[in-house]
Amino acid sequence: MLSYFIRRILYLVPILIGIALITFLLFRVVGGDPVDRVAGRYATEEQKEELRVQLGFDRPLWPQPGRLLAGDLDGFARNQLFGHFASTFTFRFGRSEQYRRSISEMIRSGAGPSLSLTVPAFIIGLFLQITIAMLCAFRRNSRFDRTVVVLSVLGISVPYLALIIFGQAYLAGRWGLFPIYGYPERFGFSVVRYVALPVLLGVAAGLGAGVRFYRTVILDETRADYVRTARAKGVGEGGVMFGHVLKNALIPIITQVVVVIPFLFLGSLLLERFFSIPGLGFMLVDAVAGADWPVINALTFVGAVIYLGALLVTDLLYALVDPRVTLK
Amino acid sequence: MKLWLILGVVALVLLGLFLSVPFFYRPAGVGEEGVMVRRAALGAKIRGLDPHDIGDTTSAAVGGQIFETLYTYAYLERPYRLLPQLAEDFPEISEDGLTYTIPIRRGVYFADDPAFPGGEGRELTADDFILAWKRMADLNNRSTNYSSIFAGYVEGLDEFRAYTAEVDRVDYDLPVAGLRAPDPHTLEIRLVRPHNFLLYWLAHLPTAPVAREALEKYGEDLVNHPVGTGPFRLVGNYRSNRFSMVRNENFRRELYPDRAAEELAERGLLEDAGREIPFIDRIEWTVIEEAQPLWLAFLAGKIDSSGIPKDNFDQVITTDRELSPAMKARGIRLIKAEDPSIFYYGFNMEDPVVGENRPLRQAMSLAFDRETYIETFLNGRGMVPTGPIPPMIPGFREEKGNPYTRYDLDRARGLLEEAEEIAGGPIPVLRLAMPGTDTTARQMGEYFRIQMSRLGLEIEVDYMTWPKFQDAAKTRSHQIFSLGWLADYPDAQNFLLLFYGPHRSPGPNSSNYSNPEFDALYEEAIALADPEERIPLYHRMEDILIEDCPWIFTTYRVIYALYHDRLQNYYPHDFLYGTMKFQRVRSDLPDSL
Repeated sequence: MLSYFIRRILYLVPILIGIALITFLLFRVVGGDPVDRVAGRYATEEQKEELRVQLGFDRPLWPQPGRLLAGDLDGFARNQLFGHFASTFTFRFGRSEQYRRSISEMIRSGAGPSLSLTVPAFIIGLFLQITIAMLCAFRRNSRFDRTVVVLSVLGISVPYLALIIFGQAYLAGRWGLFPIYGYPERFGFSVVRYVALPVLLGVAAGLGAGVRFYRTVILDETRADYVRTARAKGVGEGGVMFGHVLKNALIPIITQVVVVIPFLFLGSLLLERFFSIPGLGFMLVDAVAGADWPVINALTFVGAVIYLGALLVTDLLYALVDPRVTLK
Repeated sequence: MKLWLILGVVALVLLGLFLSVPFFYRPAGVGEEGVMVRRAALGAKIRGLDPHDIGDTTSAAVGGQIFETLYTYAYLERPYRLLPQLAEDFPEISEDGLTYTIPIRRGVYFADDPAFPGGEGRELTADDFILAWKRMADLNNRSTNYSSIFAGYVEGLDEFRAYTAEVDRVDYDLPVAGLRAPDPHTLEIRLVRPHNFLLYWLAHLPTAPVAREALEKYGEDLVNHPVGTGPFRLVGNYRSNRFSMVRNENFRRELYPDRAAEELAERGLLEDAGREIPFIDRIEWTVIEEAQPLWLAFLAGKIDSSGIPKDNFDQVITTDRELSPAMKARGIRLIKAEDPSIFYYGFNMEDPVVGENRPLRQAMSLAFDRETYIETFLNGRGMVPTGPIPPMIPGFREEKGNPYTRYDLDRARGLLEEAEEIAGGPIPVLRLAMPGTDTTARQMGEYFRIQMSRLGLEIEVDYMTWPKFQDAAKTRSHQIFSLGWLADYPDAQNFLLLFYGPHRSPGPNSSNYSNPEFDALYEEAIALADPEERIPLYHRMEDILIEDCPWIFTTYRVIYALYHDRLQNYYPHDFLYGTMKFQRVRSDLPDSL
């Protein structure tokens, strides 16, 4: 198990180098000339050239092997790619070009609002999705099951954006049941008031697809031999479903759940934007719109690290919940 | 099973909590007795409040309430007029136009801040400006304003800038020959060449003073701790999406203006003339980037003023361009104001096909239906342009007309025949670069393509991201491109500089227009100190451009602003951001969210 864990950690190194390389290429190839963003709209050609030298953008993009062969180690190391690697792997992302603010500080301040929105939506959503799916499986082919399936398909068909627009316009705008937008300056109980509607909309948006998925997973399990055995032994339907089926359905549930966890940190782009919640989703949209490459790079890299970490945890959890899985 | 139970309990508690919100949430309460609160929305996040780097309208809208500059604009006068603000008077300018001596107003104090000894703001001095401008020059600060304001003008400042690139720690005490403070209330600026637009730039927020104490306390983090001399000071963290400002207790005695343009006076904007400002006690700001929540919040009375979202335009404005009765009944009022800006399709004059064929450019300009364009894309909020000098800028000639900005397909076809003779055959497929890949950019690109197809020209549209578009402009590889320009100050030079030969790409002359006659007039005009004397020269330059057609002028924008009638003394200003000190709000209002 330990050797498996170490091997998986080592596998992450080339993947992370690849991600850093891709973000560097994107930054250089589609990001345009970084000097343009600093020079201002009246800058002349000469002023821009001066800036390029002074800001270090005149350095070579890649390491120059010739310099290494000539024994010039400093010259070999002075290139933009190595600079990018050094800042990315030490998590020193620098300052946002758009907001002139420390990116680490931006991530720290954005994570709280994002998590206050995504975690409750995730917990409530997961519980409701699995519970409804269990009830459907428990009463499969009943009127209840068929109604839920139809409603789930309808739910999947409603675009997320439409749900947000209508929810905000009617529940907040027209009927005044919730605040239209906002988030308190300081974290406290008043957060509940501001995230209530976005959380409920987030839960509603995911309900249809979630119920369909878990219903299928659970129904697959109900056809297994051990379920027939349990029933033959006289275990009640509730005991079968919660005591046996749910336990055995955990592998696909874990796969689904753990994959979602990294996205909880990165927030919800649409909900944060529509409800003016200053989270990381909002930050990412702003960064993309403003071509703020240092922020995009930081969020991409942090997101990738969390995602890869979550995948590793998924594998470890498989072994914990299913004795048949061994990690070698 | 246990885990499932825990998850279930947590989920049900959370669900119950969120579902109970409608039972305890009250959208409107009673405002604090006697406290005047202005509620304002921002359509984008604030980039930062370090004065040297304020360049976007959102940061300026907020920063304008905190920071002040040496000069400012009269709030209610049109045409725009400069006034001394932190300066006691207009500068004394030496005969050679190279030395400006500016008296600094006495009795101006920075807002209280922990940066000052005892937390009490101290009196403003000339050194605070010198420090601020050296910070703007400091390359490590990456100010986007240096090239516009000081580059190439102030003696020794470019050298100071070069020095900042070479050292790890910049010494702001290092003298700069062109910036001196002979005494705490006198600022002397020495230039290397005359700069007849310097006063306009000294009314620009990036030139606001910075207190050394604040810089020493906050260092790089000064961007998050604005300390100014303006009428309001920040409380809390402006990086969150909601934040407040309160009155700066140290703000000097200032009175509401007693002069206004006739139209503004008729709107009752002089009723408070001579009263002490500011009136407002607190400003509550909210960042709302999406049009729908902004509009809902405005209708619900949670913010005092707003623009009109494109999708709600018909609900608000009648076919005769007035406010709908339903909106009037809600106590909403409308202001329509011309905007000093110009939008256009530019030709790259170095391109052999379009650059060397004037009849072709004229024909394309005549074939562009501006009326339909303005109706389709701006809900009618625009005017057909007459030239590069827009309304609200001295020198604008509404009566002048432009023979190439009316829609005349027959004449365009005649000119196209001439163009084909010059080209020696049919015009090849032309390329239009649009600075955006979003739906609006695509619709506008398609509109242009269809218009030109009616003339018989084939257009290929390339939708580019902004960085790619900029790169192509810099390398002069566009053929035709779409852009706009908003004025930085009320002088036509701010528009005509876009055609001056030496400003060609990567400078601001993206059309790479070069005309010796125009350049000579431009040089003659900018050497004149008196703005009135420049205007006849500007008109001659404009005439050259109208005939040469380096741009297809598409629109002068008209701003439609809405506000609730409880908001008083409100009127948009194109160059002044610190306008909330003039405004007042009736206090019998619902409280904040």
